[in-house]
This record gives sequence, C-alpha cells and structure tokens, in this order.
Amino acid sequence: MAELQSVNHSAICVHDLQQAIDFYCGVLGAREASATDFVTEDVIKGRSLHRSIIIEDYLIALMLARDFMPMPPDEQLRGTHGFRHAFGVPRDRFKNLMAVFKQNGVAYEGPVEHHAHGPFGESIYVKDPSGNFLEFLWRRDEGVRYDGVTGVGEG
Amino acid sequence: MAGVSGFSHLVVDVTDLDRSEAFYRDVLGLEILGRGFLNDERPNSTLAFNTHHRIVLIQVPDKVEPFRPNSSSIHHALMMNADQFDRAEERLRGLGYKIGDNRAQFRAVGDRNIDIFDPDGHRYQLQTYNPNARAFEPENVGEVVCGNVKDYKVGDVKAFVAGKFFVVRRAEGFFALSRWCTHRKGLLAWKPDHWCFYCPMHGVTYDRKGENTSYFHDVPPMSAHPLSIAADGTITVRPDELIERESFDESQLVAVPC
Repeated sequence: MAELQSVNHSAICVHDLQQAIDFYCGVLGAREASATDFVTEDVIKGRSLHRSIIIEDYLIALMLARDFMPMPPDEQLRGTHGFRHAFGVPRDRFKNLMAVFKQNGVAYEGPVEHHAHGPFGESIYVKDPSGNFLEFLWRRDEGVRYDGVTGVGEG
Repeated sequence: MAGVSGFSHLVVDVTDLDRSEAFYRDVLGLEILGRGFLNDERPNSTLAFNTHHRIVLIQVPDKVEPFRPNSSSIHHALMMNADQFDRAEERLRGLGYKIGDNRAQFRAVGDRNIDIFDPDGHRYQLQTYNPNARAFEPENVGEVVCGNVKDYKVGDVKAFVAGKFFVVRRAEGFFALSRWCTHRKGLLAWKPDHWCFYCPMHGVTYDRKGENTSYFHDVPPMSAHPLSIAADGTITVRPDELIERESFDESQLVAVPC
C-alpha cells in the first residue's frame, strides 16, 4: 500500500483564461469549478488570477501567466515542460476521442502503443492552446478496482 | 464529447531516476510498480497511489526545468487521508525536512498542507482534510444583541465578530446566518458590491438566502442561528446554537412585530 491516495489538483499557467476554458470545457468536457478574478480582497491577499476546472476526478487551476511563455514548435505535440498531465479514456471511447479532436481542429500525435507488461495501453498527445502538453490514453488495468478518488475540487 | 474518464498519471522529468525513485518512494510514500512501461526510449519508472492515479518518472539527459519560463505558482497537490498525513509529518521530520505551508493564510479550518520539492525542484503540496473540518465549535458567547429592527433596511447584511454570524434583513423578516462556510469551514465575507457571501479559501459564494451560488456542487446552504425580536424591536441572536439547513424557506425568517 502507498502512503498517498491521489493527485488532487495541479496549477498550470495559460496565456488566455477564456481560451483555456473553451478548450478544457468545450473540447475535453471539463466543468468550471471556481474563479478568482480581479477582486480587491484577493489581490490584496496575493491570490493568483485563475479559473479552476474539474475533469471528472481532477481539478486544474488555470492561472494567468506573468508574461508570454515561449511556445514549443508547432509540430511538437509530444513533450513535457518538466511535467505532463495524462488523462484516461475508456478503451471503447478512444477512437471517438480522436474523432472529437479532429472535429475541433486539435492536432494530435499517435496513437502510440505502450509495452504490454505495464498498465498503459495506447496514448495520443496534444497541446492546449497555451502550449501545455497533455496525454490521453486507455489503460490495461481499467477493469481493476482501486480506492476511489475523493476530495476533488476542494483544494 | 471527449469522454475523458479521469486523471491517469503525471509524467515528471527527472535527471537521476534512481535518486528520484527513492525520493518518491521513501519521502512521499508512493509504491514502485516497475520500470519501462512507457513506449519511450528513455529510462522511466511508474509509481502508484492507492487509487488508479500514477506518477511516471522519466530520466532526461539535460537539466530539468520544473516550470515554464514566465509561469508562476506551478504545483501539484497530492492527497492523503488524515492518518497518512500524520505519518508523513513524522516521516519527513525524521528525514530532516522542515514542515511548512507557505499558503497557510488561505487554508480553511481543518485543511492541512505541507510544501515539499522533489530533487529536481518540482513543487508538491501534501494535503489532507481533517475529519473535524466541518465541525461546529461554539464560542460560548451567549446571546448577542444586534440592534433594533429600525437599524436595518430591507437587503441589509451586518456582520458580527462575537459568535461569527451575519444578520440578514429580507423583506419578509430577519434571520441570522453563520459566517462559517459549509464547504470547508473558511470564514465568509459579505461583499455588498456583488450582493453575495464569499469564501476566500476556495471561492464558494452564497446569496442572501444563504444558498450556494458557486460552481461547487453539493455545498449545503449557510447554517443559521436562532434569532428573536422583542416587542420593542430589539434583535437577539444565539450563535452558540447551530441550525443546519437543506434549503431556504420563508419559515426560517423571523417577522418584524407589528
């Protein structure tokens, strides 16, 4: 047994909050969780300007970058900026996901098949509009029952 | 729609796989599942949480930049239960780590957090919620006199420090609402410019009925306290008694005596 339950949330930076919401909610199906906009009390307390979204069991705080973040080359779709978030898709929905990306003009790389002795099946790789790398995959252990994820949206 | 079922894993660049594997296992407490699961020519190791979430460490040849240039506050929060958190505090102290929380002022009562960096500078927050995070703890202030009905206009909201509550004047009457957010027990502020109660901890908002108006699901309405109005119009609240509510209805209001 591990001494940790889950990854609860991440904070990442984007260039345009509305553009990010359109991508994460409009394409990926996330829902908005909260927003900290230009509110005097927040600014005085030093809170970041951000909007939070929830993708099923995961919350991402989308924070406005301090300045323009250098973008990866257009043709690079698989990569990291020190880290990369990977989201699961049921195996029987994986092809549908690629179709959704095509319909929405989201370029992707893959699918790439992982080694059969591990839990990962096939992945595709995309970037969000601000150049953050993302991965979507189906997993070979999708039928295994683990502890449920709790606490999402509360951090 | 995309059909995403949830989070799977966080891929993390590291410069020394052995060193990082040891950190994530011995310091953070993850379970090593094995190496080489990814279709990636670089050495990689997969570590497990007790849920289906995973962290995949990939050894990169160059220096790791845990943050994009011009970004800020990048972090990942790792969730524990309260017992695991207690053990983590003990484990980290034993390993010589200083236990700290650089955002303590933003935590609700019962939120616990430890900031920690991995060997390559990736920033994590170890977090848990205490079981008593929503427990009501009366201040034993007894009855609080809150002025006279003539002091309030319809729509007024007045905050009281002793007992931590608001008195709200609606057209149909008065009621007293607890200042403790029912989400994670942050202290609510009344924002007259926005006509809402606001929790600076997680951004939950409530209207003047005390009902949740934020994007957070399943947040109960603000709790109430008994309020009475004497024949001469003096308003008294008993904030040591809590009334939990499922929704607003007008029977919760105390009408102004004729």
